[in-house]
Amino acid sequence: MLQQDVEITNKLGLHARASAKLTQAAGQFQSAIWITRNQRRVNAKSIMGVMMLAAAKGSIIRLEADGSDENQAMETMLALFGDKFGEGE
Amino acid sequence: MSFTLHGIGVSPGIAIGVARLASHSRIEVAHYVLSQQHLDKETARFDDAIATVRNEMEMLRTQIPVNAPAELPAFLDMHLMILNDSMLSEVPKQLIRSQQCNAEWALTQQMEHLVAQFEEIEDVYLRERKTDVVQVVERVLKVLLGHPDNLPSTESNLADCILVAHDLSPADMIGFKRQQFAAFVTDVGGSTSHTAILARSLNISSVMALHNAHTLIRDNEIIIVDGEQGVVIVDPDDAELEEYQLRQHQWQIEHQKLKRLTTSRAATLDGIEIELHANIELPQDVLSVRESGATGIGLFRSEFLFMNRADLPTEDEQFEAYREVAAAMQGMPVTIRTLDVGADKPLGGLTQHTLNPALGRRAIRLCLAESALFHTQLRALLRASHYGKVKILIPMLSNLVELRLTHAAIERAKASLAADDVPFDPAIEVGGMIEIPAAALMAGAFAERLDFLSIGTNDLIQYTLAIDRADDSVAYLYDPTHPAVLQLISITLRAGEKAGKPVSVCGEMAGDPKLTRLLIGLGLRRFSMQPASLLSVKQQVLKTHIGNNVNVTQKILKASDADKMEGFLSRLNQ
Repeated sequence: MLQQDVEITNKLGLHARASAKLTQAAGQFQSAIWITRNQRRVNAKSIMGVMMLAAAKGSIIRLEADGSDENQAMETMLALFGDKFGEGE
Repeated sequence: MSFTLHGIGVSPGIAIGVARLASHSRIEVAHYVLSQQHLDKETARFDDAIATVRNEMEMLRTQIPVNAPAELPAFLDMHLMILNDSMLSEVPKQLIRSQQCNAEWALTQQMEHLVAQFEEIEDVYLRERKTDVVQVVERVLKVLLGHPDNLPSTESNLADCILVAHDLSPADMIGFKRQQFAAFVTDVGGSTSHTAILARSLNISSVMALHNAHTLIRDNEIIIVDGEQGVVIVDPDDAELEEYQLRQHQWQIEHQKLKRLTTSRAATLDGIEIELHANIELPQDVLSVRESGATGIGLFRSEFLFMNRADLPTEDEQFEAYREVAAAMQGMPVTIRTLDVGADKPLGGLTQHTLNPALGRRAIRLCLAESALFHTQLRALLRASHYGKVKILIPMLSNLVELRLTHAAIERAKASLAADDVPFDPAIEVGGMIEIPAAALMAGAFAERLDFLSIGTNDLIQYTLAIDRADDSVAYLYDPTHPAVLQLISITLRAGEKAGKPVSVCGEMAGDPKLTRLLIGLGLRRFSMQPASLLSVKQQVLKTHIGNNVNVTQKILKASDADKMEGFLSRLNQ
């Protein structure tokens, strides 16, 4: 199992659109992927779960991936955060 | 018997037509216990319903009309993702097994559980997504109950039909788009709901938040929808019908006429040029500014950069936002107001809750106390001034000490940029908001020391009349034409004239066409308002003859009785 902390740097945080992108990306993998913020742990493949985190810019979240393709899954998720969900700001 | 319902007008325009009721969406769900051997069948029935709705939505996704608003596919995708979310498509099956309950009941329980969690979210936009969850669940429930479609059956001519619904989902809106209703009204919803956004982009008049329209209005009743006033008249009498037919006709003509004014120059009948600028809150508002024909931005509220987040925006982030607007306006002035938080716009961590926030540490008071924050914003503003005609506007000045400290802070920011070899406009104009009565009374001193003044009438009225704008119980006292308010505006305008410095009004008063002639009469030559009001104000400017209004304006300035104001105003606006 892999885990890593990430800071959310895009302007709007995990808003509806970013949540949708994240969920779609997570859905491609066999591995279980979890996001934790303030003790709340949600399935990254669940759009509602991700939106309920209401994670604003500047908040730190913990990513976990567990399964056969966990390396690739983690890499993809980190790239999404690093790219600010393609929002450019 | 005619009766009237009041709601929120979310999309303007007047429609008169026959009511068509959408089937009741708050579905009554039966609740029963199943025997062990029926549970497999019940979970299969649930899976089938989810699959049916998924097919329906995917089908709708391919039927989106070409001219539909760009948001529509995104809304539909969101609904599909909610449908496919295991919290909605799997958890109810566990409930069916553990509680031996029917599929409808299991799904409703899970929906209530999800909605409750959304309601705890502080962010307004994310919290509103609970309506998306409810709309998706209702579609599944309808399939489970065997009546799939929400909309009334297709008729050949719906152009004069008005859809009356408890609630409408974006998916319903696609059918709506195909069927060309004249208007729609709903019991729930508000101006941030997806349905309201879509209504505006489809240009169909609409009233929402009517609470019980769907139970009070019957199929085939004649109704009138006034999307501007937020009024619905059910079963109108002949006089009402005639009046609204006239108003509908006028509205259409006005709408057409106003559009033609976009490129015409704003000047009075006696040839005095009036500048009409726009107020914006977000960089993307520039689009509507350009459409309105405004010749500049008179007020760009910089608060948006600071709200809904845990940290402060960096200099680069602010610079990008300011530069984007400055560049998009192509040399037209862009007046950016420095951070104005506190009062009704609290900012996490920086502003403290006090009993009387309107009189507390807000706007320039806060910026002077938080010098690092102010320095960052000033540097960002100055850097943007290299890419367009940026002006700095300082809110809430009350004395000259604050002004001197502000000027010193601007000089420091300039010096630090010069030291870093970063380009900026050294002659950038700096103006001050006149919104505290003390500042209006000594406007001359401010005018001498600043490049321009801008009267913030909303706060000026609040402070002059001692009315908390956030307190409904004193809202009746809020009076823009109170003689004292007009005196303060007049003093400020005269001070600007004497010092040779331009003065603008950027509060709500500037966007009210009923006050346009009065403000011009008092000497105002520069207005800044919501882009949506600009053309109505321009139309008023074009019909104004300053010379003919001198007498009435003089009388208004001498009047001390607020009750007489209405009579004077209607004489002025004849």
